[in-house]
Amino acid sequence: MSAAFTYAPLIVALPFLSFLIALAAGLADRDVLPKGGAIPGILATLGSLALSAWVALTVAGGAVFDETIYEWAVAAGVESQLELSFGLLLDPLSAMMLVIVCLVATLVHVFSLGYMNDEGETGLPRYYAGLGLFTASMLGFVVSDNLLQSFVFFELVGLCSYLLIGFHFREPGPPSAAKKAFLVTRFGDYFFLVGLVGIVATFGTAQFGGAESFPHVAELVLAGEASVRTFGFAPETWFTILGLLVLGGVIGKSAQFPLHTWLPDAMEGPTPVSALIHAATMVAAGVFLVARMYGFYAVSPTALAIVALVGGFTALFAATMGLVKRELKQVLAYSTISQYGYMMLALGTGGYVAATFHLLTHAFFKALLFLGAGSVIIAMHHNENMWDMGGLRKRMPVTYATFLVGSLALAGIVPFAGFWSKDEVLYEALIHGLGTEGSLGTVFLAAYAMGLLAVLFTGFYTFRMVALTFHGEPRTDLAADPESVGWNVKGPLSVLGLLAATTGFLNLAPVKKLTGAKVDFLHQWLEGPEGAALMATLSAKHYKHLLHDVNPAQVTASELGPLLPAALSLGLAITGALVAFRLYATPEPTEHTAKLGGLQDVLYNNYYQDEYQVWLATNVVQPLAGVADTVDQSLVDGVVNGVSSVSLSSGSRIRRIQTGVVSNYAALVTLGLTALLVAFGLYEGWLL
Amino acid sequence: MIIEALIGVTFLAALVVLITPDEYAGKLAFGASLLPLAGSLYMWSAFDATGNALLGGSAARAFETQIRWLEVGGIELQWFVGVDGVSLPLVVLSTFLTSLAILSAWRPITDRQAQFYGLVLFMEANLLGVFTALDFFAWFVFWEAVLVPMYFLIGIWGGPRRKYAAIKFFVYTNVASLVMFIFFIQLVYNLDVATFGLPAITQAIHAGEVSGFLGLAPSTVKTLAFAALFLGFAVKVPVVPFHTWLPDAHVEAPTPVSVLLAGVLLKMGTYAMLRYNFTMLPDVAKQYAAVIAVFAVVSVIYGAMLALAQRDLKRIVAYSSVSSMGYVILGLVAYTTLGVGGATFQMVAHGLISGLMFMAVGVIYNETHTRMVGSMSGLADRMPVTVGILIAGAFGYMGLPLMAGFAAEFFIFQGAFASTVLARAPLFAAAAMFGIVIVAGYLLLAMQKTLFGPYELETDYEVTAAGPTETVPLAILLVSIVLLGVAPELFFDMITDAVDPILQVGGDV
Repeated sequence: MSAAFTYAPLIVALPFLSFLIALAAGLADRDVLPKGGAIPGILATLGSLALSAWVALTVAGGAVFDETIYEWAVAAGVESQLELSFGLLLDPLSAMMLVIVCLVATLVHVFSLGYMNDEGETGLPRYYAGLGLFTASMLGFVVSDNLLQSFVFFELVGLCSYLLIGFHFREPGPPSAAKKAFLVTRFGDYFFLVGLVGIVATFGTAQFGGAESFPHVAELVLAGEASVRTFGFAPETWFTILGLLVLGGVIGKSAQFPLHTWLPDAMEGPTPVSALIHAATMVAAGVFLVARMYGFYAVSPTALAIVALVGGFTALFAATMGLVKRELKQVLAYSTISQYGYMMLALGTGGYVAATFHLLTHAFFKALLFLGAGSVIIAMHHNENMWDMGGLRKRMPVTYATFLVGSLALAGIVPFAGFWSKDEVLYEALIHGLGTEGSLGTVFLAAYAMGLLAVLFTGFYTFRMVALTFHGEPRTDLAADPESVGWNVKGPLSVLGLLAATTGFLNLAPVKKLTGAKVDFLHQWLEGPEGAALMATLSAKHYKHLLHDVNPAQVTASELGPLLPAALSLGLAITGALVAFRLYATPEPTEHTAKLGGLQDVLYNNYYQDEYQVWLATNVVQPLAGVADTVDQSLVDGVVNGVSSVSLSSGSRIRRIQTGVVSNYAALVTLGLTALLVAFGLYEGWLL
Repeated sequence: MIIEALIGVTFLAALVVLITPDEYAGKLAFGASLLPLAGSLYMWSAFDATGNALLGGSAARAFETQIRWLEVGGIELQWFVGVDGVSLPLVVLSTFLTSLAILSAWRPITDRQAQFYGLVLFMEANLLGVFTALDFFAWFVFWEAVLVPMYFLIGIWGGPRRKYAAIKFFVYTNVASLVMFIFFIQLVYNLDVATFGLPAITQAIHAGEVSGFLGLAPSTVKTLAFAALFLGFAVKVPVVPFHTWLPDAHVEAPTPVSVLLAGVLLKMGTYAMLRYNFTMLPDVAKQYAAVIAVFAVVSVIYGAMLALAQRDLKRIVAYSSVSSMGYVILGLVAYTTLGVGGATFQMVAHGLISGLMFMAVGVIYNETHTRMVGSMSGLADRMPVTVGILIAGAFGYMGLPLMAGFAAEFFIFQGAFASTVLARAPLFAAAAMFGIVIVAGYLLLAMQKTLFGPYELETDYEVTAAGPTETVPLAILLVSIVLLGVAPELFFDMITDAVDPILQVGGDV
């Protein structure tokens, strides 16, 4: 075993330690730690980053790792032996994700020095404790080697988001948003939990990798080489049901339709937290989970089609809402929902590598955009309304330059990172749709079409945001004289700017297709080291085999070249961007989307999605509880009290027999005795 | 002899505390309660039995004593005590929670302290008896004797409607016990045993020795006994629709009493169900599995919906107990290692978590003199440590992983889903699991309204951070909840060991 793997548990343990330190400092109730606990957090995430890089290098060197490190519970029952454990699965996918999470977490910690400490926030130890636990939970999730462990850390990630979104608990908004975030994702996690329990009940294991893993056993069952208990369903149907149940958790955490409503509200949290949630932790967890157990989805065409439809629809749906938002972070929130929709679209259409690639590039450019927005918010003294900004490009050149890079990447403009990944997502969706027979193929193509149309809107809302914030002339005094930001803000922005510009080159799949040059590095990375037994069930190659040979939908490879689809999506993105720029990068911009009339209201109010969910909670569930309470008090308890009052009153009536008059008693005794004698005589037969 | 020592010391402590001056009673009671606690922890560390106390021989019972006591009507009564993997965790839970409850009573109980602490210790002694007695007669004496101190604790130190609540609690559970007692005696008289020893009775029933009675077939006799026992215990648990005494009792009871009521007394019901219904009469339980599962699911969902409708924090926690105890019933009826084992684990987990919640709500009440959602907000600002622990406890209640509640609920769900005894087990499991969404709903809503937002209070009290006698027990409970969540094997290992023999009993209906 490689030395890197020996120390790998520390990747999770270090941020957890920083959580404990900050927590202790918070309880001590004095400024015992310099910078309110930021230093241990920065050191811990840096340490994790270094270890993650080491792990990634080791994986690149051809080693992978999957070991149980802690036995949580064993049920050595009569039915079977069930072991529930925590372990480490270090393969190309998790190694890549570790680096992303650690890098973003480190930069968010540094940025927080500028955003929280320099702004004089109180409760900093609580903040840094939350960040540490958040990072540790996500890292624990990433290295999970089984679905139970994933669920455990999935929930802890949810807890941390609750704590951090509600950080400013003295105001009314953040606690409400925190509650909503936890509750909506908990609703999704309910389905995940049912799915998890079902998977363990079906396969007797929750392991992701290896010959005994549940995706592999599912594959064997479908091939007729093994059998499991499928609770009265055909195996294909049952596996699809299980996959869709787990997907419930993914839809909640990755903010996909219809459980996306928590995410825009979550902007109530401090901006660095938003960056962490959107780029590398909570929202990423959902999509990562599908990628992690991709072998299980790859054999179910129905589940894949639903993933693709949810993804494509969410990409388009969220992008339209982003068109009309007034606040900087709101635009970014809807863009996150939309971008994760692309990842789901890719996963649904067999684009495992494409989805992972978009997860990678999005992590960097979205973290960049959020931190850039944070920088603007500092400058604007926490005013987030874009209509109050304008002309900031001259006054904050570093923020502007990096934000522009992030925006170009988000809009998908060549050669920035987002172009390459989004292009691959759409290309995979297209050829998968073309290569699938029948109605399923139509579904995939419909999902592709929605994703493609969303590109136009993405270009528009992105550059509307850039134009309104940075171009034109300052529209308020605040924008005319913004507060300057320090190195701890500019440093993270520069690092992320560089990454957002360049990470696309990690995977030049279309270039490879055209020239044959082996520049699709991410493809090679996810194929995994040759010869590692574990990779037989976890590699991109294996997933391709499942999709084409085991999946009953009979997908054939389409021969469509990459140039035309790329040109199409790039053209749409540039069109959207240019139109937005023409309309809004003027000295005195007006709200052009107002011409949409009533449609703008619908978009601005998010298609009234929040309204119906709040209505369900307050006008259906709450009254139902009230009815239950009334029934309980009057009927259920009424019967109890009724029985007791009947017995009490009959008791008091019987008591009236006790008159205290001796002659009455004597009469009763005589009567009774006679009755007894008669009865006994009748029974024994000597009376008649 | 350690069990006798445990019970004896606790009785003795109760007597001594009863005649101690009020000002020292609390401290003395706490000190004395550490003795049974230490004893139970020693029992846990020295525990060496394998198997189920009712189904196995002596090797299945640790710290066993069995001596002949007296004979009544040809049936021998014995002093017969011992523990197995099912009862020992509950013994530890009882001693642990009693000590913490006594500590948390120091501040709120300012009246007739000697009697209060004396009664608490008297109740603890009887609880220990309930969880260790293996002879029906002795067990029933302890079982009934628990009610007496509880009646006085609610009736004397309770809130405004304490008399109504105390009488309701006493009469309701007592009537149920009576029904249970009559039918159990009926069952024993239809067996060819000359003892009230529970192992002998169990093994005779499993050997098919139940005879008919009054023209009833043996299976009918068993079914009737099962129904009466189930009813008797269901009131204690409580299972919907026999739950209405619980919110009244909790709302009126002083905080430390609520802690013990929810933490330990409710577990008497599920413990007895496991012993009597599910261990002695598994064939009946399996035959009526679907009916029992309906009771369980209704308790979970209906209890949670009731909690959602409440405005009094204590009522919220009280109704959520109904919901959580429903999971226990579901686990029991699953007849799988994880189901029955998880149910037993949930008894401990819920004991700790509901104890913490009642205690935290009590601490808030001591400061604010209100428990109403809507008459306070932003408490996190004034009492950050208490509120922090309350939030952690609430997440424990919601089944947050790596806390004891998640382990218990996950085991139960897993065990119920895979049950082969219960038809359509996955649907029952999935229906009950929806409880985890509702519990999050009402707890998060209540927390948002009371703990967060701008600080406001309708009553005229100055709220300050709670003192150490209030926060230390809370913190200890939280640590123990996390410990059991991270390492459930601390108890779960011995629990599964004692549960497995139950699953191996052949079912002949």
